[in-house]
Amino acid sequence: MGKNRIMVIDDEKIVGDMAKMSLEQDGYAVETFLNGETALARLSEQKFDVVVTDLKMKGIDGMEVLRTVKKLYPATRVIMITAFANLDAAIEALRGDVHDFFPKPVKIKELKASIERALEKEKN
Amino acid sequence: MMKPMEKVLNFLKSITGRGAEGRLSFTAMFARFRQVLDNHNRAAEIIADMGDKLGGEYIFDINYIKSAYAELHRRLSVSLSDFDVLTRHRYARIGEVFDRIDGEIRRLVYDEGAASGDLVVFYGDITWSMAREVGGKNANLADLKNNLHVNVPDAFAVTTHAFDAFMKQNGIDAKIAALAPDKGIGEKELREIRDAIDAGALPPALENALSSALAKIGTGCGRDCFIAVRSSAEDEDGRHSFAGQFETVLNVPLDLGKVGAAYKKVIAGLFSDKACAYLLQSGYHIGNMKMAAACVLMVDAEASGVVYSTDPGGSGDTLMINATWGLGRSVVEGQTDADFYSVKKGSGAEIAETRIGQKASLITGRKSGGTSTVPTSADRKAKEALTKTQILELSERALQIEKYFRQPQDIEWAVDGAGKLFILQSRPLRARDEQGPAAGPAPGAPDSKILMRARGFAVQKGSGAGRAFVLKNRNDLDGFPKGAVLIARNDSSDFIRVMPYAAAIITDIGTPTSHMASLCREFRVPAIVNAGNASGILKHGQEITVNIDDENSVTVYEGIARGILEHAGRKTSVSMEDIYEFRKKRYVLRFISPLNLIDPLLDNFSPEGCKTMHDILRFIHEKSVVELVESARYGLKGHAAVKLDLPIPAGIMAVDIGGGLDAAAGRKGKDGTLAFEHILSIPLKAVLKGMMHPGVWHSEAVSLRAQDFLSSMMRMPDIASANDDFVEHNVAIVSREYMHLSLRFGYHFNMLDCYCSENTRDNHIYFRFTGGATDMTKRSRRIQLIAIILKEYGFNIRVKGDLIIGRLSNIRQDDMEATLDRIGRLIGYTRQLDALLHDDNRVEQYARNFLQEDYTL
Repeated sequence: MGKNRIMVIDDEKIVGDMAKMSLEQDGYAVETFLNGETALARLSEQKFDVVVTDLKMKGIDGMEVLRTVKKLYPATRVIMITAFANLDAAIEALRGDVHDFFPKPVKIKELKASIERALEKEKN
Repeated sequence: MMKPMEKVLNFLKSITGRGAEGRLSFTAMFARFRQVLDNHNRAAEIIADMGDKLGGEYIFDINYIKSAYAELHRRLSVSLSDFDVLTRHRYARIGEVFDRIDGEIRRLVYDEGAASGDLVVFYGDITWSMAREVGGKNANLADLKNNLHVNVPDAFAVTTHAFDAFMKQNGIDAKIAALAPDKGIGEKELREIRDAIDAGALPPALENALSSALAKIGTGCGRDCFIAVRSSAEDEDGRHSFAGQFETVLNVPLDLGKVGAAYKKVIAGLFSDKACAYLLQSGYHIGNMKMAAACVLMVDAEASGVVYSTDPGGSGDTLMINATWGLGRSVVEGQTDADFYSVKKGSGAEIAETRIGQKASLITGRKSGGTSTVPTSADRKAKEALTKTQILELSERALQIEKYFRQPQDIEWAVDGAGKLFILQSRPLRARDEQGPAAGPAPGAPDSKILMRARGFAVQKGSGAGRAFVLKNRNDLDGFPKGAVLIARNDSSDFIRVMPYAAAIITDIGTPTSHMASLCREFRVPAIVNAGNASGILKHGQEITVNIDDENSVTVYEGIARGILEHAGRKTSVSMEDIYEFRKKRYVLRFISPLNLIDPLLDNFSPEGCKTMHDILRFIHEKSVVELVESARYGLKGHAAVKLDLPIPAGIMAVDIGGGLDAAAGRKGKDGTLAFEHILSIPLKAVLKGMMHPGVWHSEAVSLRAQDFLSSMMRMPDIASANDDFVEHNVAIVSREYMHLSLRFGYHFNMLDCYCSENTRDNHIYFRFTGGATDMTKRSRRIQLIAIILKEYGFNIRVKGDLIIGRLSNIRQDDMEATLDRIGRLIGYTRQLDALLHDDNRVEQYARNFLQEDYTL
């Protein structure tokens, strides 16, 4: 069985770098993207098990990523991360069938646990 | 009848809240003090939170840093403005220092342009906050020289500001900016940059700065001397070692032209093919990194080489040394068959293995500059380049440096003709366990017995092992052995003295935002506070392994549990340091978290001594307390004083400034006095409880000898003038949490200022005792006795003649109350004690008696 694939989208490089470093340690295959456009393009050629996306980004934002994923790749779970100030918007996202959301800074341990739960759900 | 002047003063006070000297009324003062404390506490929490969130266990972004810092800045600004009023503008400099540090932080957080700094800086002037501008190699060496007092040759740094100025003047910055990194940078482009550097001219300001520096270093040297010009890139010798990637020019004469040429060669090294390949592999962008240079006086080396403070091929308990005759380059570059030593680590280091190399050739400095390789003379070839004493000295130094940097080090060293050891470079050694796989669940430790398991506040997670050092008395800290685990009842910023050597720290009581806690985070010493009764359970001297985990709990195993230690070496937070963006963003903490202002009694406890926001916070807090203590003496007029009705004749008048007394109608006795049960002030109640403790208050007078009586008569006027308003009374100014107690018993004065609330960080005790009826010798003995007792209770003390000042802060309310009770007993006990202290032996004896609760005189 291949590795589970995780996509991380955030317009700040450090978020992708840190997520990649910690998730790869747990045996996931991780790809990072700095905007929604390139991320969605990649999704059209490669299946990902979980997408972790920032909410507020220029161009295609996290909500649009969520909507697109839910429509085109319903098996893929989406986890939203956002600055505290955007919490209301994140709650809005919850209504859009997001698997989970976290305010930044995100505790790596909690993010990992959430991803594990998402994968469990997918199996079932 | 009120005198006219007094009327004017009172009027002024009534309209401005201030006295004629610009002093605030005490109530107004106290309100300011509370505001300072509130903002202070919130700021301390933010600093702790930033340390936590940027520690490698959270994914964060710049927005977090911006918003956390904005809040910190706001809190500190308000606190500073209250502080300024409180101290009547006496520390105006603190505002400037705050702005300067704020500027540094903003530059990092908002990526604002580089500050224009010095082009050349001598090592003695380098502080760790200058790490980026002097580069990693300079920063590490200067750190060792200035803070660990390691013997490093005279040296100066040519900073990245000089680099910027050089590149700009010669138009090379524009060439670099025009490179397109995405398409790959070819050898041709890099060669063009190197050629441009070679052909470039030094900016006049840099020439001037270099000339002065060379003259200065030459004067200090006092012989024909030479320098080594070495690379010191921004991140060099940090997480990425860049070992051997950049240039070094050895034995350069102190001539501006020659040094200038060597400097250009060194900065051009940043654009060599191999260096650029390394940069790209390590996640850097070409052109983003700047190069500083290290100009280090050459040691006339008899022998030199390299020491690894931990042998990367061993099991972690040995270090290895390579040594050869002459300059060490031959060892670094593997050009000679050097001597090899393996030395067992730990106290009483011993040489475990010796292999004498052939050392066929050696490198020496030429008189005209530069170096030459010559054959080693026959008699020296097979002779050891180091004596046993030198090997052990070098080993000890290497271990000290490893402890200081908290990781194994790759160290270059040299010994001169007189046998003096110099450290020339120190950088992290890549150990084997860093390549290890992801950390799995913590391995069980079936072989190790668990001595204790407790919950507390994990200040710095991690593991450490060594002998337990259970601190009973603050003075014992001087005997703390390197590598031990410190166990103490309370936390204290005094522990900074042993932090570079401590394997871990556990305190029974403490808070995660204390100064000690932030120091532990800065030094990455595994530490937990508020962890129950460790000082009672663990035995002094026993070998233990401490593991502090994610869940704020600590487990202590008997003996050295290697499995636990190895597991802890592979935590996520360690590998995060590999991410360039992480290091860059985390760097801002350097201007926020570390605490340099430790001891208020030292000279650097000044606005100028503040290097970080945490320092400013500490300064404000300390000076606010001092200000409050001073002001309490002036703050009585206009408040009604109530005499306390106590079973001891202490004669205390109390003034309530808010919730300190229940003096409602019907509470007072017929004579207008107030009984003990109507006192609401937490600290006053606690201290009176102690004073009234059975056996403490001796009502029978101790007889004075004739000489003592004469002595008291002579000093009478001095005492009488000290407190003219209330010379007849002992006075307590109180609120529910605050107490300022001013006592005069006979011929000595005792002052106690404290704040005692649920918020541990707010709490302080300030104790002052002076005077006495007897001669100076006896009075000083009483001071010694008080000093012994206060130290036992953890006070930071200062003694001058017959004056003692003791300070204690950051302790929990229940501990505060217990300590105040004991201080109350001390006040009662020592009242007449000086008359009995006929010789020095009695000091110890009475102190011991008191600590064992034997209060007989």
